[in-house]
Amino acid sequence: MNYNLNPILLVEDRLIDVDLTKRALAGRRLLNPIEVARDGEEALGYIARWEAGEPTPIVILLDLKLPKTNGLEVLRQLKQHPKYSSIPVVVLTTSAEDRDVEEAYRLGCNSYIVKPVEFSKFMEVASQIEIYWCAINKTLR
Amino acid sequence: MKQPEVSAARELLRDIGSLTLLLFLALLWAGVLSAQTKNAGKAVLVIYWDSKDFPGNVGFDQAFQAGLKNYQGGPIEYYAEYLDSNRFTGENQLELFRDYLRQKYAERKIDVVVVNPDPPLDFVLKYRTELFPNVPIVFLAVRQPPPAQLSAGAGITGLVLSSTHKETLDLALRLQPDIEQVFVISGTPDRDKRYEEKAHRALEGYPRIKINYLTDLPLDEVIARTQNLPERSILFWFWQQSADDHGRIVKSPETLGLLAKTSRHPIYAMNSAYVGHGALGGYVVDSGSNGDKIAQIVLKIFNGVRPQDLPVERAPSSPMFDWRELQRWGIDERRLPPGTVVSFRQFTFWERYKWRIVGVIALFLLQTSFIGVLLVERGRRRRAKESLDQLNAQLEQRIEVRTAALDRKSRELESFAYSVAHDLKAPLRGIDGYSRLLLDEHAKTLNDEGRSFLKTIQSSTEEMSQLIDDLLEYSRIERREMKQDHVELRSLVTTVVAQRRREAGNCQIDLAMNVNRASVIADSNGLVQSLRNYIDNAIKFTHGVPEPKIEVGARETSNSVVLWVRDNGIGFDMKYRDKIFEIFQRLNPGEDFPGTGIGLAVVRKSMERMGGHAWAESQPGKGATFYLEISKSSPEAPVDELQP
Repeated sequence: MNYNLNPILLVEDRLIDVDLTKRALAGRRLLNPIEVARDGEEALGYIARWEAGEPTPIVILLDLKLPKTNGLEVLRQLKQHPKYSSIPVVVLTTSAEDRDVEEAYRLGCNSYIVKPVEFSKFMEVASQIEIYWCAINKTLR
Repeated sequence: MKQPEVSAARELLRDIGSLTLLLFLALLWAGVLSAQTKNAGKAVLVIYWDSKDFPGNVGFDQAFQAGLKNYQGGPIEYYAEYLDSNRFTGENQLELFRDYLRQKYAERKIDVVVVNPDPPLDFVLKYRTELFPNVPIVFLAVRQPPPAQLSAGAGITGLVLSSTHKETLDLALRLQPDIEQVFVISGTPDRDKRYEEKAHRALEGYPRIKINYLTDLPLDEVIARTQNLPERSILFWFWQQSADDHGRIVKSPETLGLLAKTSRHPIYAMNSAYVGHGALGGYVVDSGSNGDKIAQIVLKIFNGVRPQDLPVERAPSSPMFDWRELQRWGIDERRLPPGTVVSFRQFTFWERYKWRIVGVIALFLLQTSFIGVLLVERGRRRRAKESLDQLNAQLEQRIEVRTAALDRKSRELESFAYSVAHDLKAPLRGIDGYSRLLLDEHAKTLNDEGRSFLKTIQSSTEEMSQLIDDLLEYSRIERREMKQDHVELRSLVTTVVAQRRREAGNCQIDLAMNVNRASVIADSNGLVQSLRNYIDNAIKFTHGVPEPKIEVGARETSNSVVLWVRDNGIGFDMKYRDKIFEIFQRLNPGEDFPGTGIGLAVVRKSMERMGGHAWAESQPGKGATFYLEISKSSPEAPVDELQP
């Protein structure tokens, strides 16, 4: 299986952030396709699609503040799922609140990154994600 | 040489003897003078009948002597003699008594002779010329001497003991209306029946009542007779003296006592001497009253009044009864005439202790009422306390509810601020991101001014981002849970200083540290943040100062540690020392010293939350020192107790 071809699932409701994230990741010349879920329910909807045979993502970039079902709930369901709990979930959010950080780690997120405002810093973050989660890290399939 | 000395001694002795004789004579003369002075008083002789212990004599004697004490004219010599003719009968005895008195009082001047009752009066009248020829006589007797005798010599006056038979019988009939017979008991040594005759005269005019006389009977017979009297009878006791089996004279009161013991009928008497010896009572002449009255007459004579000028009066009489006899015969005390003297009253427990009992009961009631009042008061106080407690509980509950509501509101506000701050960041990211992309990818299509505008947009975005971060930090202090713990100050300061030194590495600042090992009670996150803000502040305001220098130090007080950050920066005017700790307050334009005006506000708030204190001292142009005061920890103190 070619891991690099597995998609990155970006769960983000703001189109600007979607665009900027895509641009930041594209800057790293990442080959993996990027799939976008615009709210919590859509993100959880992917579980059924994976069951149906679609490829599971190499990493999920999850915003916490989402319409319909919030990010922490999405995280909880993913990490409690018997089959897909091993998919790395990187929380990528504006919140730097301790309680959000603590709750996210308690629910099993693999990394918690505060979205920087400055685009240059954002580019650095995207680079880190690509290097660690897409190139170095190996997850159990 | 010896002869003249002896002669001188003899002369001396003779002189002493003469002096002694003179002294003796002088003393004797003084004694005579003293005796003459004594004789200047008055002397009275009372001749009683019977003996000293006869009840009538005792009562009379006491009252008479008391009455004499009212005399103002000097001392009174009082003599008492007893003509015991009822025991020592016969003319011979009278003569012996006469001789005895004559010899006894030969050298004494008697001013008044009192005789009580008839036998002494008769005796004195008989021997007056021999015994007391020129002495006034005052008598208390049944029989009044004839007028010729009254005026003879120094004169005679006195009181006549008139009969109270009639008054007594009238009173007896009022008390016992069903009386049918009266038995009059009397007896004299002479058996002359004079008392019977007197009674006979007095008790005439009662056709319904049969009057019987038991006169001059032996004691046994009197007792036997009185035990078998018909129903509805009463006895009248006058005077009865008897001899017992051994020939001993049993006197009148004693005889009455023996008779009364066995009598089945009440005994009325006409002399107070018998009340108390078994007589029920009656209209009596009272020996005490008579004694007092006779004393008054004697005093008048002492004061110069002639007996002839004092008319003979009737001895006073009044109703007197024995309470015990009233009880014995079932006679109601309330039926007695007003003014009746009731003697020998035996008080019941209630009568005797009435006022004490009333007092005790009153005291008891008073005490009871006091206790009652106290109990009521205690009850009221308890109820008041209960209602106060209830009110307090309600108040506390209300405070809890209000506090909870306030906490909720506060949390809502914080949550609101937090959400707003986060949401503000998202569009900022867009502005920054696209302006950056514009600059990177379309720089060629822009002129210099366009590129400058984009840079301004970027720096403004950065500033806005910082402001939002600081605001979030400020609001986070309230929301974050304070974790008070023992913090080792030196290592904490070392870490922070090293970090700041590294970050400010390119600024060429001399950042020195001088902190001893000390442990404080603090929230380490809050303390780190406060210290960092102080150092950042110092770095900022030493910018542009030649040889910028920052020193971090600490000193210990008795129960706290004061941490300070000193710089040689631009300083500030002390009038702003409080203002600089308020949020959004800045003393310098943002262009010169960029900042949000939140850093020091975060420090003060953080210190307040951990029970510490933050302040600053400065002079414009001479640098500033910022202080933090934190409680010192003692190793024994449990951390929980130190929670602010």
